[in-house]
Amino acid sequence: MTAGLNDYLILSGLLFALGFFGVLLRKNTLAIFMCLELMLVASTLALVAFSRFNGTLDGDVFVFFILTVAAAEVAVGLAIIVALFRRRQTVQVEELNALKN
Amino acid sequence: MTPVHLALLILLLPLASAAFIALFLRRAGGLASAVSVTACTGLAVAALALAFGGERNFPASWEWLRLGGFSLSLGFKFDDLAALMLVIVGVVGLCVHVFSLGYMHDDGAKARYFGGLSVFMFSMLGIVFADNLFMMFIFWELVGFSSYLLINHYCEKQSAADAAKKAFIVNRVGDFGFLLGIVMCYWLNGTVNLTELAAHHVYSSWVPLLLFCGAVGKSAQLPLQVWLPDAMEGPTPVSALIHAATMVAAGIYMLCRIEPVMTPTALTVIMWTGTATALYAALCAITQRDIKKVLAYSTLSQLGYMVAAFGLGSLPSGQGDHKVLVAAGVGAAMFHLTTHAFFKALMFLGSGSVIYGCHHEQDIFKMGGLKSKVPLTFATFTIGVAAIIGLPFLAGFFSKDAILYLAFANNKAVFALLAFTAVLTALYMVRLWKIVFLGAPRSEEASHAHEGGLSMTVPLVLLAVLSVVGGYGFFFEKLAGSVAHLVPEAGGSDHTVIFVVSLVVMTLGAGAALLFYRAETADSLEQKSPGLFGALSALKESFDAVYNYYVAKIQQRFAILLNFLEQVALAGLIIRGFSGLVGLFGIGARALHVGSLHAYVYWFLIGVVILWAYAAGVF
Repeated sequence: MTAGLNDYLILSGLLFALGFFGVLLRKNTLAIFMCLELMLVASTLALVAFSRFNGTLDGDVFVFFILTVAAAEVAVGLAIIVALFRRRQTVQVEELNALKN
Repeated sequence: MTPVHLALLILLLPLASAAFIALFLRRAGGLASAVSVTACTGLAVAALALAFGGERNFPASWEWLRLGGFSLSLGFKFDDLAALMLVIVGVVGLCVHVFSLGYMHDDGAKARYFGGLSVFMFSMLGIVFADNLFMMFIFWELVGFSSYLLINHYCEKQSAADAAKKAFIVNRVGDFGFLLGIVMCYWLNGTVNLTELAAHHVYSSWVPLLLFCGAVGKSAQLPLQVWLPDAMEGPTPVSALIHAATMVAAGIYMLCRIEPVMTPTALTVIMWTGTATALYAALCAITQRDIKKVLAYSTLSQLGYMVAAFGLGSLPSGQGDHKVLVAAGVGAAMFHLTTHAFFKALMFLGSGSVIYGCHHEQDIFKMGGLKSKVPLTFATFTIGVAAIIGLPFLAGFFSKDAILYLAFANNKAVFALLAFTAVLTALYMVRLWKIVFLGAPRSEEASHAHEGGLSMTVPLVLLAVLSVVGGYGFFFEKLAGSVAHLVPEAGGSDHTVIFVVSLVVMTLGAGAALLFYRAETADSLEQKSPGLFGALSALKESFDAVYNYYVAKIQQRFAILLNFLEQVALAGLIIRGFSGLVGLFGIGARALHVGSLHAYVYWFLIGVVILWAYAAGVF
């Protein structure tokens, strides 16, 4: 039995849901960040699957863009988190509310 | 010096004097009065030189303002009519200036007073010279302003402040009509230049009627007459100059200026307005006890005469041809304006002399016996009274006869009313004269009355002479040129009728007054017939009562209603409503910022869901 499009999409949806609830529920900024990446990867998986089953290159082109952007994002995002930790000695989101008060 | 330069000099001399006083002499009353009187002497001399120089109808016009296709020019229209008015304003103005030197000698605000007089002379001369209606309107408002300034001279008195405000506001009502008339005239004819209008204009009764509104305000005709009696709060020389001889006559002068655009309908309205004013004011004058108020109502009555004369139009033979529609009316009105300016200024200055002599006592029942105390004032005042009641061979006799003849020939009803008014005129003037000058002094002030100085007696004598000769043809013709030829003259049997009628009405009125009134401390009419006296007083009060009711009840309530609507609808609903809405939105938006990153993720999620739902066409 070979995997069909639906299997890929279900997997992609599961990964996306995993990432989404991670963003919603985790308190650690680093973990939230990783979950964000997981959501991005889930969407790229769906795009690759579409590309494969449609026999076109459109989805693959999207994936290249998403990976490029994600790489840049990771570079900036991690740098911010490191800088944040150096300054505040914490990366827990409930303590990062300087703008609110 | 060309006539144009002379005219410019006449116009600008009082302005220069006013500006100089306002800028440098505010604290120097003596110097200010000298400057003002010198300027007025100069302008009077120049005015006489210009009027009798023979040069008339010279072109002089300058563009002042251009807005697209609309241009506003300032210019001089100096014809016989203007020359006549110029001489009146110049001569009476000079007399009043000189008289003021004595009358206002001890006043604390002399600089303001004489500056005001100069402003007035400038504005009045502007009306006299104006060659178009816009220019006339500008100076029309300026005389209103200077009148306000001078009525308000004793501004520490509440009554004077109120009177000044009343005069200004009532005049605004009339001037609004005047302005509408000018706009309509421009709209219909494309010009407001008086010469061009005379040559060519569209036939419409609205234009003359709206312009007449201005005259109703300024010349204090019914129903806007209420301001003039109150204006007597001003200094007496001001009453003589502004509220008797010149400014209030400006309305009649303006009517004569716009004579070519008149229509029979408009003339009928004007005629009845004038007649009603003449009769109403004469009735009011009978019950007055303030010497100046009697003269004020007499002025109103005489102004009504002039307006009625204008409205009567030409003699019957000249009808049909529009050119002569009002010719005789102009002649009669201007003739009476001239003689009235002299004898009424004389009587006002005479009353000023009396008031000055009696230490500012104005109640005639507290005077009496002044005949021997102030003999010169008595003599000149007597000439004035004789002139106004139409004693033969004095100025008022000729001009009043001209008007009566015109009424006799044109409209018998008006003739009857004007003749009855003449009876009343003789009655109240002789009453005033008798109570003030005859009998015994009835108060401490009156028994110590004294004549003013030379500056007060010389103007009286000059005006008395003018009140005598002003009515004679040779004099008036010299002054007025072609206007004098318009004065209607009765011939044959009409002449006899008019002569007899005017003699009878004068004798009737004067005789009744001489026999009926006693030079005592109380009004004979009030004692003998309180009912009639009360009715006449009520007549006087009626207009003020109606206006007070209108202002206090109707207009004030309307204003309150408007204020309520403004507060609720405009300020409440629209302004505060919108700001409240925006504020509410702000409060809602602020509530979303809870400070927790997870909440923001939820908002983001909700936003995405809404966006998705919208894109999918759920709503």
